[in-house]
Order: sequence, then structure tokens, then C-alpha cells
Amino acid sequence: MQPFDLKTPKTLDEAIAELPKERSRTAPQVLAGGQDLLTVMKDDIAAPTALVEISDLALGGIEVSADGALTIGALATIQEIADSSAVAKSFPGLVEAAKSIASPQIRSQATLGGNLNQKPRCPYYRHPGVSCFKKGGNVCLAEFGFNKYAAILGGGPSYFSHPSDMATALMVYKASVTAKGPRGEREIPLFQYYVLPDVALDRESVLDADEVVTKITVPGPPKDARSTYMKFKERASYDFALGAVAVSLVLEGSTIKEASVVLGGVAPTPWPSPEASAALVGQEMGPEAWKAAGEAAVADAVPLENNGYKVHLIKGVLYRALEGLAG
Amino acid sequence: MSPDPSWGKRADLDVLNRDIRRVDGPEKVTGRAVYTHDVRLPNMLYARTLRLQTARAKINSVDVEAARQLPGVVHIHIEKEAGSEVKYSGDDSIIAVVAAETMEAALDGVRAIAVDVEKMPPVVTEKAAKAANAPLVNYGRNADSNVTSASESGDPAEIDAIMEGAAAAVELDIDIPTQHHVCLETHGHVVDPAEREGFVHVYASTQNVSGMPGQFRQTLGRDSDSIRVITPHMGGGFGAKFGAGLEGALAARIARETGRPVHFMLSRADEFTLGGNRSGSKQRIRLAADAKGKLIAVDLDAEKHGGQGRGALPGAPYRYAVDNVSSRVVSVKTAADSNRAMRAPGHPQASFGMESAVDMIAYALKMDPVEVRRRNLPSEVHSRQLDTVAKEIGWSDHPHKTAPGAVGADGMAVGIGFGAAGWGPGGRSSQCDVTVNPDGSVVSATATQDLGTGARTYVAAIVAEELGLQVNDVLAKIGDSELPPSVASGGSVTTGSSAPAIKDAAHQVREALEAKLEPVLGAAVGGYVWKDGQVSVRDGGGQALDWKAVCALLREPLVVRGQFKQALYRGNIHGVQAAKVEVDTMTGRVRVLKMVAVQDQGLPLNRMALRSQINGGMIQALSYGMLEQRVFDEQDGYLLSDNLDLYKIAGPQEMPEMVALIDDEDERESVCGMAEATIIPGHSAIANAIYNACGIRLTKMPFTADNVLEALYGKV
Repeated sequence: MQPFDLKTPKTLDEAIAELPKERSRTAPQVLAGGQDLLTVMKDDIAAPTALVEISDLALGGIEVSADGALTIGALATIQEIADSSAVAKSFPGLVEAAKSIASPQIRSQATLGGNLNQKPRCPYYRHPGVSCFKKGGNVCLAEFGFNKYAAILGGGPSYFSHPSDMATALMVYKASVTAKGPRGEREIPLFQYYVLPDVALDRESVLDADEVVTKITVPGPPKDARSTYMKFKERASYDFALGAVAVSLVLEGSTIKEASVVLGGVAPTPWPSPEASAALVGQEMGPEAWKAAGEAAVADAVPLENNGYKVHLIKGVLYRALEGLAG
Repeated sequence: MSPDPSWGKRADLDVLNRDIRRVDGPEKVTGRAVYTHDVRLPNMLYARTLRLQTARAKINSVDVEAARQLPGVVHIHIEKEAGSEVKYSGDDSIIAVVAAETMEAALDGVRAIAVDVEKMPPVVTEKAAKAANAPLVNYGRNADSNVTSASESGDPAEIDAIMEGAAAAVELDIDIPTQHHVCLETHGHVVDPAEREGFVHVYASTQNVSGMPGQFRQTLGRDSDSIRVITPHMGGGFGAKFGAGLEGALAARIARETGRPVHFMLSRADEFTLGGNRSGSKQRIRLAADAKGKLIAVDLDAEKHGGQGRGALPGAPYRYAVDNVSSRVVSVKTAADSNRAMRAPGHPQASFGMESAVDMIAYALKMDPVEVRRRNLPSEVHSRQLDTVAKEIGWSDHPHKTAPGAVGADGMAVGIGFGAAGWGPGGRSSQCDVTVNPDGSVVSATATQDLGTGARTYVAAIVAEELGLQVNDVLAKIGDSELPPSVASGGSVTTGSSAPAIKDAAHQVREALEAKLEPVLGAAVGGYVWKDGQVSVRDGGGQALDWKAVCALLREPLVVRGQFKQALYRGNIHGVQAAKVEVDTMTGRVRVLKMVAVQDQGLPLNRMALRSQINGGMIQALSYGMLEQRVFDEQDGYLLSDNLDLYKIAGPQEMPEMVALIDDEDERESVCGMAEATIIPGHSAIANAIYNACGIRLTKMPFTADNVLEALYGKV
């Protein structure tokens, strides 16, 4: 890790003023829980000259309003979300996602804002010796190399799969990100927040280098909605997703009236699957519909040499998630 | 005279053969235990390595000038000068070492070194090593091929003929990746070059305390008699820590050149790169049996994948009795770190092949896999142990024993599998001093190391048993090369070597004390009972003295040296394990629900430590089977799994219900180690349980979702 200045602004505006206009390897970055950023620095992926520590700013808290809408401050920890009975009541998938993340120590330190803005976990990206598209290089070594954990959807020219559990779960609840920068505050629907590698390689989202995520807002869920998040970890104790699904359904009797499906761990962004949703709407809850949804979800999958298993895996995880929502 | 030392009947023991809490437990759980990594000496330097990140390259230049200018950087050693070559990923990857006032400054120094290299093809896979025109990465003298060390026995044509007429014949291709030891504490040393009391001191994370001074003789330029190696605690070795390694040699060198103590512990990435591994293997096994399930022929065609090492794999037939055998085994050398000894070297690999094949025979004959094992394991002990684990795992109530189960409508399946193990734990020359002081304090001292196994506890407990004391009445001193010599902890020899020497010393002390008691209590040597802190005359009508009063008879400390006694040791042990798994055929998830292990080893010195060892064996085998895999990038030779993110080991959520059983039908009055046997069959039992559950025969480790789903549905 290279030496850096630690800035401790007293206000959000002061923090924003410390942030750079452009991203670069050495450009200052926001430090919150530090659970991803410090590893990125230790692995010499970034060497910011300054870290802008925002932990003392009033950007935490979890609130549910009278109309059922949820606001989570960017500095709320993953453990706070995991422990929130208010969140669990209307947004169980958020609690399930939070509980699935990393280890108790990391959950207690990691923030929601940090989780949404994690850098890729691709082993090539994380390897100090490797240069790749995501580090300003001109190749994706995973494409023809070790790609067991790589994307089967939305890949190219880089093939990492996005690591955020919270993003996948929040997306199914139609969450928005609020960010503030020198040009003011803006609210970005999470569906539009992430960008694919064929759009930009130096970033994973539309967040500008001089913006700070301040909060995440989630509208109240539809009446009678049922929802869940299910994650498949290779190492159950502590791992990122090989595949994950967030599902929200509204049933009428046993008929599916509304459905929303977002896939995680299989694409460079959380991956909304309108195809899977469409396959579910109007169907009776049951194995037939669950299997059809899985087939629809992977219809466009383009596996690499060693990640074809994810096609089966994500179908299975979606099936198990839907099964869990029945009855 | 009293008889020679003996362990005595188990029922008569007061301290041994019971659950004994570790004497160093409180130190360890409170963090007060000082490991080599924790050693801090005045004026100490910290060393960090600069490694080539790919496997092979020519070094064009190494520019350390910028690094030298950094604050805190004190010394830079260049291991690979311009013009040299890095020949393989391993200790040869070290280009330079920076020693600095702090660990952070050393790392800054490493990053400031500019290295210009010319890439070379990595040759980190066996496929690349065997390719036509592959670069030669077998650096042995006169080597002309990467395929080496061929050994052949038997005639495959004869085996073919037997197979053709056999009631059952199976064939399978086993594919086992490289495993790492993943010691909690990485390799390394702290070398203090200043002479104190005639010694230069080396703090070492080693499983070979007595053997270490000699390894530093050349690098420190002095007699081994004047080098003292200290290992009060060490965080695991598993066979990887017998030698000082390049890291030890460089620590000594930098310490001499700077005249300052040097702390040189490998980073985790260093550790994965050059700390050793369990070799991988490919095995084609063909096995045949008669209609009664008796194995009649086996053929093994195997490669050992030990990187720069030769790899380890016992020959065929493994563990089971088979009359007709043919085998061809080669080592395929790659430009990767050499394999090292690792807890039962080669045996878990051989177990996976053979236990899978034996299982296939059972199902091919529609016979109970337990029964087929019983008919072919040569020892009666295995037979009774099979019954024990079968009972504990619930085999008799299991609905499908001779054919795999049907996957339920819910896509779930449950199965049970088995595997057997054995080992010949050694026992050899080792010594121990027991000192009894006039104030009643007792010290039991031997150089041996405690790898985390509990050795320190029996160093005290054996003496306590002999003298009728409590474990805490005896101070165990270990981990110091100036103490009476002990063995390197390899091959499960530590207990078999140390315990007899400790027992001998304790017995001699007892006799010496009894000689002093003769004028006081009247009985001759051998005529006393030592129990509950008292000594009494056997059949002596209540004549007794308490321990303190006995010791008060001494005018000076009583010191005796015990030696290894063959009669106290016997090394021939057996174990059987079973696993119960649940397979989700939709997602490919395998969950190990329960594991059972039974193990014999003669007298259990400390039942709690023994169960911990058995549990540890099951856990390490589970982790091996379910998760572990070294991963190289094949194109450029990056070791991608040089971290605990990608090199996955089992954690708390992976832990099944574990039942560790001590085989109490073994009544031998002898001791030996047993750690290695317990790691051999667990993953094999898991694979067999997966087959029993749903009919997929996993021949490729680990049993992760990708391999399970590919076996279920084919490659996508």
C-alpha cells in the first residue's frame, strides 16, 4: 500500500470538494468501511494519493416511512441491515442478502454504499502481477484463461461477474441510489446505475469520481408481494456468489400476477431478467413455471470454457428461490 | 528392582487415557502465546520478498536504486542478478529481499524495485509439460524429458486376461489437483546474530527443532553447537516445515550482513508460492473382482504432479489385498513449486483412486460396499471398525446400500460412503530430562515441538501419571534445541518417539526417589504406589508420605535423562471413516451432513487431544475433497490462488456433525502417533456417499458445483 493523505471532512460538501474530477490509479477516493478499498490498495490495484474518510458524516440510519418506503443511509453497515426487523418485514431479500455477505467481522465494518461500489473479484483483476482491461490494460485474461467464476451474461470485453449481493437484492425492490457531487444531488434508479464493460471499463457504475453515494431509497412493496434473495456460495462460510437470484412475486391464489427476477454473480452487473419474469407471469406456481423461468433466464447465456456450469446452477438457484416462495 | 517401565492397564491410569485440557490452552486462546511471527527484538529488521509473478522469465535487469533511497529501507539482497533466470514458480521466484525498519517500509521497498524481464513459456500444467517440443523444466542432471522417474511392475496383459473373465471389472480416471498445507502460521524465522551466552538464536516456525541448528551452520558460519533454535509455539506444519528453506538462508544472511536481528516470515502469497504442497495426480485404475467381491486384479497407470518435485503416490494396490497387480507410474515435472511431505504424503491421493474403484466394484456386483471392503481389507481390525462406523452413521437403516438412491421429486438425494485407512507411525531415538527439585517442583524437558497437536501436554502428563501428580504439577519445557534431542515431526513419529523417552525418564525418577525412600518407609525400590500426590508402601499398612515431603528428602535437584524404549512403542494403526451427504441435483450443492471416524493407536495418552486430531483429519479431508485446488493461469503462469479468497478452505459452515471414536477394543499397552491415518479416507468416503446418493461417480476433485453439475448434466 502506498502512503496517502487521510482527509477527514466535517461536512459532505467538504468531502466532495476533496474528490477528483477524473478517475485514475492515484486519484483520491472515498473511504467508508474500507473493506473493499483497502484490499484494492493492498493488492496495488489503486494507489490513491488521498482517502476522503466519510465515516463521521451523518449518512447512516435505516428508516421505514408511513407509506412503507425504505431509506438506508450509505454508511449503514451490512450487519445493521441484517439485524433490522423493519427491513425484514417488508424486504426480506435485503436481510437475506446482507446475512449472506462475507464474515461477521466484515459485515460489521462494511457499509451499504461500499458494497454497491465494490470492485470486481476476478482473480486476474485482484492479482498484483496482472494487467487487464479493468486496470487500464488491453486484455481480459479470463476470457481464454481461468474463467470458472466469470460472467455468462453481458460479458465482453471484460468478463468479471459483479460481486454485490445488496445490489442484486435492492434491484428487485426497484431501489434508487442518491448521489451528491459538485453539480448537485441526483437520484439514479439502480436499474440504470451499473454499466457493462462494453460501455465503460474504468468504472462499474454511472457514479462520477467526484460524487458520493448518500442514501438508497426503496419504494414500499406492492401489497401482498412476497420476495426473497438466494445466493449460492462455493464455500458456504465466506464467499461471493457463484450465482444468486432476487425474486419478487405477487400471487393471486396460486397464479403469478406480477414477477420480478434479478440475477447476481453471473454478469458484470446485477442482471435483471425480464425474460424470467415474463415466463412466470400468468403461470401457476409450481415446478413447471419455475423451470420455464430458469430456461428463460439463461436463454441468452454465452458461457466461456469453464463457467458453463453456471447455466445449470443459476437455473437451480432460481428454482429453489421460487420453491421457497410457494405456499 | 522394579520392572521395566510400562504403560500399564488402562483401567489403572489416573491421568492418561482421560480428557486432559491442553496445558497451553489459556495462553493460546488469550493470544499470549508467542509464535515466531510474534517475536519482537530490539533493533530488529523486517524482510519482505519481491517475487516474479509469472512462472519463468529471463531477468534483464534489477534496479534497486529507488528502493534504497526510501526511508526505513536498510538492506536489499538481490537473489536474481541480471542475466539469471527464474526457472519455476516457487523459491526460485524470489528476485530480491528488502529488509527495513518496519514491515511497511520493507513492502514500499519491494514495490520500488524495477525489474525488467523477458517472458518465457510458463509450463505450469502437466499438459504443457508433456506437449511435443515443451521447454525442458525438469532441471535434474542429464534430464531430457519432463516426464521422469518411471516405475513399472507386473504385466498389464495378464491383468487384461483376468479382467476379461472377472465377474466385475471397473475402470476410472482420477484427477486430483494440488493441495496446499495452509498452515495458520506461514514459514519463517527470526534470526538474531548477536551472540548471547555462547549462542546465536534462531526463532523458527519449524517441526524439526533438534534438526534446525545444523541447517543454519553454513549460513550463519558457525558450529551447530553454538546455534540455538527456539520454537515455543508454532502454527502448523503438516509436513511443510522440516527445513530452513531459502527464506531461512536469506534471513541468516541478511542478519549477518547487517548485524541486526531479522524477522523474515513469508507473506501469505509467498507461502502459497513457495511453502510447498501435496502433489496432484492423474490415475487410471482398472480393478476386477470375482462374484463374491474378492478383488482379483488391479492395474494402475498414474502420473504424479509434484511440480519440481517427484510427487507422492503409494503404488497399487492401495490398502486392499489384490493378488494380481500391474502398474506404471511417472512423475511429470512442471515449472511449479516442489511438493513436500504433507500429512500422509501420497495416501489421500491413492485412497481416492482405490476407494472409488472398490466402491464401483461393490455396486457393479450389487453388493454392500461395507461387505466388499471387509472381504478385501487384510486386517481384522478394519473389519470391526467398519462395523463401528456403519453403526454410527446409520447404515443399517439406510434405504439403498447396493445401488444408488433415486433423486427425489424435489431434486434432493442423500447418500452414505466409506473409506479405510492405516499407517505405520514411527518411533525412534528421542530423549527427555525430568528434574525433581527439593521444593517439589517438577520439570519435564525435551526439544520436541508442538505443532498444535497437544504434544506439550503429554510431556507433562506422562510424568504426572508416573509420579501420582496432577498435570499442572509438572512444567513441560519444549521447543528449544538446547533441550534433550527429539525427532522431527514427520510420519506421525512424535508421540511414538517422545512419549517412551518421557516415560523412561519419569520411571527412572520414580526409582531414584524410591531408593531415597527405602531408609524412610522401609520398602525397596518397586515397592511403592504413587497416587493422588502421595507415595505409599505397597501392602504397607498405611505408611505414606506426601509429594512435598518426598522431595524434601532431596539435597539437590534430581535430574535424569530418559531414552526411547522400543518396548513402549508399537506403530501399526487402523482407521475407518464414513460420510453422509446431501446432494442438491438442481444447484450442484453437496453438503456433508455427518462424518464418523474410528481410529486405533494403542494407549490414548490424552483422549481429548486424540479426538481433536481425528476431527482435524476429517476436517482437512473434507476441505480437500470439497474445496481445495491450486489454480495457475496457464497462459502466463500467474499463481492465481495465492490467497485465501481463491484458495478456499472449509470454514464453520462447512462443518458436518463429526463423531470421532477412539477404538477402545485396541488394548495394546504401547503408544504411537496417529495423525496421518485420519486424513487419508475422508474425501473418498464423501465421493462414495455422493455416488450412493444419486449415482454420479465424481472422479475429479474437488466436489464443487462445477464438477458436480458437469457430472450430472455434461459440460456446457
